[in-house]
Amino acid sequence: MKFTVTHYYSILFYGREQTIQTFAVLAENVTKEYGKKEVLKKVNLKINKGEFYALMGPNGSGKTTLASILASVKSLTSGKIEIFGKKPEDAKKITGYVPQENFSSPFLTGKENLMYFAQLLGYSKREAFDIVDGLLKKVGLWEDANKRVSHYSGGMRKRLEVATILFPSLKLLILDEPTTGLDPSARRKFLGLVQELRNEETTIFLITHIGADADLASRVGLIDRGVIIAEDQPEKLKRNSGLENVVNIETSIKSDKVASLLTKFSEKMKVSETETGYRVFTEDVEKATPKIVRSLDEIGCKVIRIETAKPSLEDVFFKLTERKVSEVD
Amino acid sequence: MGQITTTWNKTIKEFLRQKTVLFWTIGWPIIWVLIGSFSFTGDAPAEIVAYTRGAISISMMVFGLMTAGMANLPGNIAQDRERGLLTKVMSMPVSPWRDFSGRILALLAFSVLSAMLVIAVGFACGARFFFTGIDFMASLAFILLIFFASAGIGMLIGTFVKHVHGAIMSGVGLTVVSAALSGVMTPYAYLPSVLQNFAKIYPISSANSAITYLLVGADYAGYNPLEHASQTVLTAFIALLLFIIGLIAYSRFCWKKD
Repeated sequence: MKFTVTHYYSILFYGREQTIQTFAVLAENVTKEYGKKEVLKKVNLKINKGEFYALMGPNGSGKTTLASILASVKSLTSGKIEIFGKKPEDAKKITGYVPQENFSSPFLTGKENLMYFAQLLGYSKREAFDIVDGLLKKVGLWEDANKRVSHYSGGMRKRLEVATILFPSLKLLILDEPTTGLDPSARRKFLGLVQELRNEETTIFLITHIGADADLASRVGLIDRGVIIAEDQPEKLKRNSGLENVVNIETSIKSDKVASLLTKFSEKMKVSETETGYRVFTEDVEKATPKIVRSLDEIGCKVIRIETAKPSLEDVFFKLTERKVSEVD
Repeated sequence: MGQITTTWNKTIKEFLRQKTVLFWTIGWPIIWVLIGSFSFTGDAPAEIVAYTRGAISISMMVFGLMTAGMANLPGNIAQDRERGLLTKVMSMPVSPWRDFSGRILALLAFSVLSAMLVIAVGFACGARFFFTGIDFMASLAFILLIFFASAGIGMLIGTFVKHVHGAIMSGVGLTVVSAALSGVMTPYAYLPSVLQNFAKIYPISSANSAITYLLVGADYAGYNPLEHASQTVLTAFIALLLFIIGLIAYSRFCWKKD
């Protein structure tokens, strides 16, 4: 057997040389049932070594279940999973998993927490000391290393928890909704850290329901009700969705009447409701915008802000499912 | 060994840094040693007062051991589960047995610390004991049985009561109620016969009586728990059985891949 730089290896099979690719993650027909409820329905997934893959979907779509199975925390009902060619339970030494919860101990310092995980991974105390110091610097917690985690902010705690999967022996990093609950500034800093992790040796599997987070990935899978409904590079997903322009409207009121009026202008798909107003999908923004403002004014709805934008991954998901990513299944 | 020592290290630090844990396991028994030593001894002769204080110190030491095993351990397990640490550890190359060993050894160290402090305060308050070397060694064996029984019950609570507060309150409640009903915190002689029978079967109260008998005397234990070997055998059997059941429940259900 011989490894090449493109991570392929050749084997001699019945006298002929074949090339077989080892994926960082290979899932074939993965099904997971809880009683009669099918949470994952024959999911197929291939993630290449060194790839940054984001799986995006609403709560209850099965994305966390899939991550838990990959991390060997949950079992699958049927199908096959391989992590670098091994069963998940045999790949624990090379798989790092950050669950959704803040799992670090608030009674220990940041450094003590990392020492705990380092030694669980099999590093000696001496080795762990050197590596942990480096990791604390890497995630920007060096100065707060000796503070108890109970004194950390949400962002600091999340960075500490990500540091638990940055040990050099770990090759597949699974992050389950790491930015949930972070303020915008902490979220951006955190995503900057994730971007820095990208290299040829490290494969990242990010679970999220935020399109802007998934946008960072080299490939995105959209999952809905246990099925991966689309998968591609983020830009290609948006381009192929047929959505060209989006008009973001912040309105003084939100009502069925306003929504139904805006539907007339949304040729490409249903109007999507946002926290402050609506998103309308139209081909000709320049023509549609003044008409939208005038029509809303006629029914007594003031436009506070109106802007055009490019479609987001949330819009693509909405187009494919007619459901919002933020909806709970 | 590395995984056991690192889990030991984490768990013992968590015990020592939580004020509620320190209060219930060390503070509360010490408060009762102080109250018992100075309030309930009346005008009795000095020797009796000293041995009564000894018996109170033993009971409170046992209460501390019970709290450590039955409330602190399940609280620690439930905390780790609720905050996702068990999930995280399950995704790592860690065996449940090593995790368990680290936790139990930390609990043992913490229980020993609690017992030593409670007895030291008892001594400072004038408690006296009367024993031989063999009595002392036998007492240590009974202390170990109390530890096993409490830890077994604690693991069962920690495994099946999912929320942290629920687990801690269940443990504290069970500790207080069972200590009161079985004669750990109340004189054995004043218990109704049905509870006297319970006190002989419940391994913690039986071991408590045995330690009191060995270190202070039959008058303070209320009866001679070592009179029949069958009671000692039953105490050891039930204590170890509780520990084994707790251990199996913990490794099967807390570490279960659903």
